[in-house]
Amino acid sequence: MENLIREIGVPLGRFFGRTTATGAIALLFAIILGVAFVASQGNMSTFSITILSGLLRAALLFLVAAGLSLIFGLMDILNFAQGAYFMIGAYLAYDFQHPANGVIRIGEAIPDPNLRFLVGVILAVVVGGILGVILERGLLRPLYERPLFQLVLTFGVSIIMLEFIKLIWGTTPYAWTVPITIQTTQFEIFGQGFSAYRLFIIVMGIALMIGVALLLRNTRIGITIRAGVEDAEMVTALGINVRAVFTLVFTLGCALASFGGAVAAPFLGATPSLGATYLLASIAVIVLGGLGSYEGTAIGSIIVGLAWATMEQFSLFSNIGTVWSSITPMLMLALVLLARPNGLFGEER
Amino acid sequence: MTSLLQIENIHTFIGQFHILEGVSVDVPQGNITVLLGRNGAGKTTTLKSVMGITPPREGKVIYKGEVLNGKKTHHIARMGIGYVPEHRAIFKTLTVKENLEMAAREKNDLKNSLDLIFELFPDLKRLIDLRGGNLSGGQQQMLSIARALVPENDLLLIDEPSEGLAPVIIEDMMRAIKRLSDHKTVLLVEQNFHVASKLADSYVIVDEGHSVHTGTMADLRNDKALVKRFLGVA
Amino acid sequence: MKFLREHWFFLLVFVGLLLLPYLIGWLTGSNPLGVIRGDRYIMRGESTYWQSVMIEVFALSVLVMSYNLMFGFTGVVSFGHALFFGLGGYITGIMVQFSGLDPLLAFVLAVGLTVVLCTVIGLVIGLATLRLKGVYFAIFTLALAEMVWIYFGRLPLTNGEDGLTMSNLPAIIDPSQNRLILYYLAFAMFVFTFLFIRRLVNSPTGAVFKAIRENEERAQAIGYHTLRFKLFAIVVASTMAGGAGIIHAVLAKSARPEFLGVGYTVDSLLMTIIGGVGTFTGPIIGAGGLHLADVLLRNAQFTIGTTTINIGESWTFLLGVVFVVVVLIFPFGVVGTYQRWRANRKR
Repeated sequence: MENLIREIGVPLGRFFGRTTATGAIALLFAIILGVAFVASQGNMSTFSITILSGLLRAALLFLVAAGLSLIFGLMDILNFAQGAYFMIGAYLAYDFQHPANGVIRIGEAIPDPNLRFLVGVILAVVVGGILGVILERGLLRPLYERPLFQLVLTFGVSIIMLEFIKLIWGTTPYAWTVPITIQTTQFEIFGQGFSAYRLFIIVMGIALMIGVALLLRNTRIGITIRAGVEDAEMVTALGINVRAVFTLVFTLGCALASFGGAVAAPFLGATPSLGATYLLASIAVIVLGGLGSYEGTAIGSIIVGLAWATMEQFSLFSNIGTVWSSITPMLMLALVLLARPNGLFGEER
Repeated sequence: MTSLLQIENIHTFIGQFHILEGVSVDVPQGNITVLLGRNGAGKTTTLKSVMGITPPREGKVIYKGEVLNGKKTHHIARMGIGYVPEHRAIFKTLTVKENLEMAAREKNDLKNSLDLIFELFPDLKRLIDLRGGNLSGGQQQMLSIARALVPENDLLLIDEPSEGLAPVIIEDMMRAIKRLSDHKTVLLVEQNFHVASKLADSYVIVDEGHSVHTGTMADLRNDKALVKRFLGVA
Repeated sequence: MKFLREHWFFLLVFVGLLLLPYLIGWLTGSNPLGVIRGDRYIMRGESTYWQSVMIEVFALSVLVMSYNLMFGFTGVVSFGHALFFGLGGYITGIMVQFSGLDPLLAFVLAVGLTVVLCTVIGLVIGLATLRLKGVYFAIFTLALAEMVWIYFGRLPLTNGEDGLTMSNLPAIIDPSQNRLILYYLAFAMFVFTFLFIRRLVNSPTGAVFKAIRENEERAQAIGYHTLRFKLFAIVVASTMAGGAGIIHAVLAKSARPEFLGVGYTVDSLLMTIIGGVGTFTGPIIGAGGLHLADVLLRNAQFTIGTTTINIGESWTFLLGVVFVVVVLIFPFGVVGTYQRWRANRKR
């Protein structure tokens, strides 16, 4: 029996790093689930929908936060533009799918909405990646010696991208009106319907979390990234062109965020507020999880996602107004910063 | 004896601070050359200047006949120079194996070097899957040196390997460095004169950013006055 | 005499701004006090128009100068500066509309309250720097400002998103009745802020600010209690921002959530950098130049091929582009680059 516990415990403990982190996580989950249960008034279907909405949000947050976290860990840059990439993905996917009210209108070429959506997502990812390369090589590389300006630059770039989107597509929010078939299929959860598409995104999010973790752990490039997060100068001294790795990670981070926006568009639509909302929430995620820690980002996404959905349900239940659900990510951010700035898994920087 | 590495009167600035004001070092092939000097004299900066981490503004660094000035650090490393920085800069979140894998440049580097590495540092064999952060100071230092042995490096730059280690561990490490100097050339930085005098064949004293004295170790061991003047203790 | 020779440019600008309403009035034949209708004045005419433009320039300049004090001179990165700017406006609005007191008394109390609240909140935020370094502190200020913005955006008392209209301002500073007095009030605050910051930065305290900006650890190693100095800089900056917010809100005769929004923080940052970080006149050039450009070019358009670009609409976009260009190519901003160019020429 003892051996069994040790067999499970040691790798699990190594995964979590510290027992205090594990305790904090367990406590947070307990609180969130508890509140969710109360807010659903014990109704199993409301409860499960809340949890699923939370997981859905967690998947989207992860797509934005993963890039944010790795870019920060590796390059010490807080890429404010991640929110803008999320938005670009959403707008491109929307535009492609709705050639009638879109601006670019190339989507007309593909009549089948499902195929069109797939191509639209791929388009969003490719454009996101290209813009990422341009940003990193064109704008950030010259500034590696001046970290203060780097921080400020990504901020400026995010504004440019945001305003550019507003210029092209206007400020009215767009709702998704050309559905893909998987959106209309519903699963029955305790008597309530939940779109199969949303479920699909949750599954995909989890798959990505695990996939990227495996990549980081087992592949050569993954080991290089982890080493670079710890000490980029040493990696260079070992003969590896760490700048090329920077560009790769940065580009992938942006492409991932763009992907997130694109797949979220069917139910979030394309609105100008998407960028800021998801950026700020992602910052909360990576600070909670610990800047630069991959595991922290994964777990942080789940916690913030669940907390957000729970607060929304709670404000419905208790009639305290929507203020509280809107400020939930920010409140969590502020509290974490005050209580434990290194987050759950962060190291001293 | 041919010089593997020639550092010719380099001046290096860090920010606006003029750290190296004319350092020249000649590193003969197959030897262990040591840079001696007090704290802050510029020894570490000299190594970093060779590696291109803090490139020199003036002067030349010539390795195997090629000028290193202006080359990027990873190119310099790939020319066959292994850098073992001070404070044992191993990757603490990576395992011993992963640390060694990081150093490999060609496909079979790791496979080919493991024999030598385990011969010099037998402890690493059983620690192979342990995370770097869980190793003792001495083991981390061994790993740091072992890492420089993975690819085909002809020159090793080793910065203060004895720092913070217990005397018994230092003895082990000195034995290992002496062994590997059979195959490689070493440019060593050491503040511990005992270690330096036992390991090195020749020395260069660096004082306040200049190289002020050079010669064979044998001569220096006898010149107590010189040692006291530039190194503080004998 | 020497004073006049050394500072002739500043004195010229000072006198010019002092007499601006009358100068414009004289040049365009408009009355600085407005147009007489019955027993009161209506704000019509070139002079009164430019007065309101300049009042806004003064307010924004104070805001940007305060941000520059914190960021440019002391190296404290804050993404929540708009918090104080908007707070000044809201406190004024709430006092004037809901306190039930005589408007002038309410206004004076509001000013006092703003100073007190900005100082207190500034202190609290400043204390956070104990725990949080650099990026973490910036994120914290961002989170705080966002929360306050959301809160006021939904507060029923102040009409939530639409904001509060200040119909109850004391007549003496109501911009619809007596813009000239508001002009001189704003001008006085502007001049005071400029001189105060100049004095502060050139004093021994200012030297510590700059030391902290260069390398806080080294400053501590020398023996300075850097926390006290940072707190001082943050509190002064916050209070000045609050003051600027009051003027801005009074001019707009309203207090809206966007005054607390990230937009004004972004503008502060952008204008500080474009004008010139760590210079005295940089923020003024940045704020003034950009606001004037905004006003003058608002309806300008230019066409490329078949698309017409309206500058007013794409203002923020263009601002962002200018910002990126400045950061990459002219990191010292307009004033900073000019100063370096002058210094290089002397050699």
